Amino acid sequence: MKNPILRVENLIMRFGGLVAVDDVSFNIFEDRITALIGPNGAGKTTVFNCVTGFYRPSAGQITMRVGDRTHRLEKLEGFKIAQKAKIARTFQNIRLFPRMSVLENLIIAQHNELMRASGFSLYGLLGLSGHLKAESNAVKLAENWLNKINLIDLADIEAGELPYGSQRLLEIARAMCTKPKLLCLDEPAAGLNASESSDLAKLIKDIRDRAKCAVLLIEHDMGVVMKISDHVIVLDHGAKIADGPPVAIKKNRAVIKAYLGEDDENGGSPPSISACSRNALEN
Amino acid sequence: MSAGQKNRSDKNLGAHLRDAGLTALICLPLAFPMFGFQLVPGGEGGNVKTFGTSVELRFFWVIIALIVIFLGRLLISLLSSKAFSKQVVGAQPRSVNTQSMSSITPWLGPGILGVALLWPWFPFVDRWLVDLGILVLTYIMLGWGLNIVVGLAGLLDLGYVAFYAVGAYSYALIALNFDLTFWQCLPLAGIFAAMFGILLGFPVLRLRGDYLAIVTLGFGEIIRIVLLNWSDLTNGPDGLSGIPRPTFFGLPFKNDGSGTNFHSFFGLEYTSMHRIIFLYYLILVLALITNFVTERIRLLPVGRAWEALREDEIACRSLGINPRNTKLTAFAIGAMFAGFAGSFFATRQAFISPESFTFIESAIILAIVVLGGMGSQMGVVLAAIFLIGMTELFRELEQFRMLAFGAGMVAIMIWRPRGLLTKRKPSIRIAHTVDFK
Repeated sequence: MKNPILRVENLIMRFGGLVAVDDVSFNIFEDRITALIGPNGAGKTTVFNCVTGFYRPSAGQITMRVGDRTHRLEKLEGFKIAQKAKIARTFQNIRLFPRMSVLENLIIAQHNELMRASGFSLYGLLGLSGHLKAESNAVKLAENWLNKINLIDLADIEAGELPYGSQRLLEIARAMCTKPKLLCLDEPAAGLNASESSDLAKLIKDIRDRAKCAVLLIEHDMGVVMKISDHVIVLDHGAKIADGPPVAIKKNRAVIKAYLGEDDENGGSPPSISACSRNALEN
Repeated sequence: MSAGQKNRSDKNLGAHLRDAGLTALICLPLAFPMFGFQLVPGGEGGNVKTFGTSVELRFFWVIIALIVIFLGRLLISLLSSKAFSKQVVGAQPRSVNTQSMSSITPWLGPGILGVALLWPWFPFVDRWLVDLGILVLTYIMLGWGLNIVVGLAGLLDLGYVAFYAVGAYSYALIALNFDLTFWQCLPLAGIFAAMFGILLGFPVLRLRGDYLAIVTLGFGEIIRIVLLNWSDLTNGPDGLSGIPRPTFFGLPFKNDGSGTNFHSFFGLEYTSMHRIIFLYYLILVLALITNFVTERIRLLPVGRAWEALREDEIACRSLGINPRNTKLTAFAIGAMFAGFAGSFFATRQAFISPESFTFIESAIILAIVVLGGMGSQMGVVLAAIFLIGMTELFRELEQFRMLAFGAGMVAIMIWRPRGLLTKRKPSIRIAHTVDFK
């Protein structure tokens, strides 16, 4: 078995008396798209926030491997998870910098590199031009991603003026501009129409194959999950109930039970999860 | 159809009249005590209780006030409803509006700079007007400094005057105790103020918006009260006097006949205007340096991170930007410019006391930044000229000048609720994109 890039071991997260995540362990591998699914309140977002440093777990270990160095995420300061451990994320409710231009959004993502190149902005202030090369490289990387998401012609308008679907793609592109090893997407397909979500699926696969970045995503749209993910982890009531390739998850009885309630009394063949869960989740 | 439309507009007029009437009615209880009574000396009620004065009723004034309010309100509501109907019919009137603004703005900067450079030499400009120029430029510089903290980094700072005070007192104390010249003290005062900026920055790192405003307000007051009470160092409420005046590269502006002075060196007749004009150009240069640095930083990684922090701190964290360092640099650099302005203030006045650094100063500087349009450098200039220049020009109206100040603020908030200049230029562009103009 290959060496996982992210290893979550016995993760526990308590909010007062409520145990939101109870002893969850899983691995994420380099060349895979891993989906984290589960009914509402299963603890997906909590796991996600622990991994990306927005919550500090009550117990457990999260280890990220970057090259041959490892980082213990539960001990890192929030912003260092992106800076050192190379984990980027997007948000369920899009968090762009709305009054800055599309290009600026992507340049800010490369802040740390530019700071280093410009001597913490001092060279620039003194009129030295050392940082200009770094800046033009940053623009090149940004252009590359803008071409991928078809926003190159809108690079100079304010990000807040973009349509919703483009904002979602831009947020993913911005996360990718931090040159991450693991990209965490929080419901990337929420609010997208059919053609937009197929563009999104293409982009995520492209990130896995060309940018060589592992992807962890939370998603409610089972169509997207089953189509693109290589590996699925299912949570229910804070505990992991299944872990495997999508084909196996579709047939897993525990998963079907979690989504549809006590259903095995019927004795019939289990309904396919993609059809049922969509019905269950659409209300 | 036209009958229906006419009917509707008639109904609208009725509504406007009713609205204006209501406004006048609301103003009645306000106008009555303010205009309706006048204390007159003597009079028939001249007894011990009223100390030889009596109250005269002035119904006529109240009626005039109500009529003015009624007509004014009617005018405003008619105009705004007309503008509204135009907005519905005409396509995108807002873009037309911004376009007409943007055709002026490229000329605004160089125009104002040109006037500022020549200001002391205009024939109509007397000593008072040069002094006024110095005052306006001081506020422009403070506005630009605060613009870094509030406009760019989005940290609402209500105690900015504290750094101004730190700069002024550090200059005064260093100059008085260690016998250093203005040019040696200036950077020291800036460094001290920046240190206080970091000192304030640390405890407020986690605060935003209203909470940050309250803490910074408290910080401003703490500094003022410390200055007031630490008599051994600051001489308390009596302030520090005899602060050395700036010299022109070592040449003092004096007429005491001893040594080389500015006028004797250049062979000029002594007038006190020399010093005033020198101070004018000094603050102009300091303000321009502030502007230059701010404009430059905006295009550098730190400046972009400030703006990103203003837009969304959580997103910044997810991109690996260190929010602590970013905030502290904003506080420190903003405070440093206030420190420079403070030492200029001290050298100009030659006397400082805690009186000069009250909350109202912070409020005026913040008003300049907000009215100018947060983050807009040109907006700060216009707002400072407007607010400071107007209040000084209306000084002859005495108590009514605060009324003019208030009316100006209300007018700006009605017509340009996001500030005078709100257009933001991106800090970086892609060369080959289609230009949307």
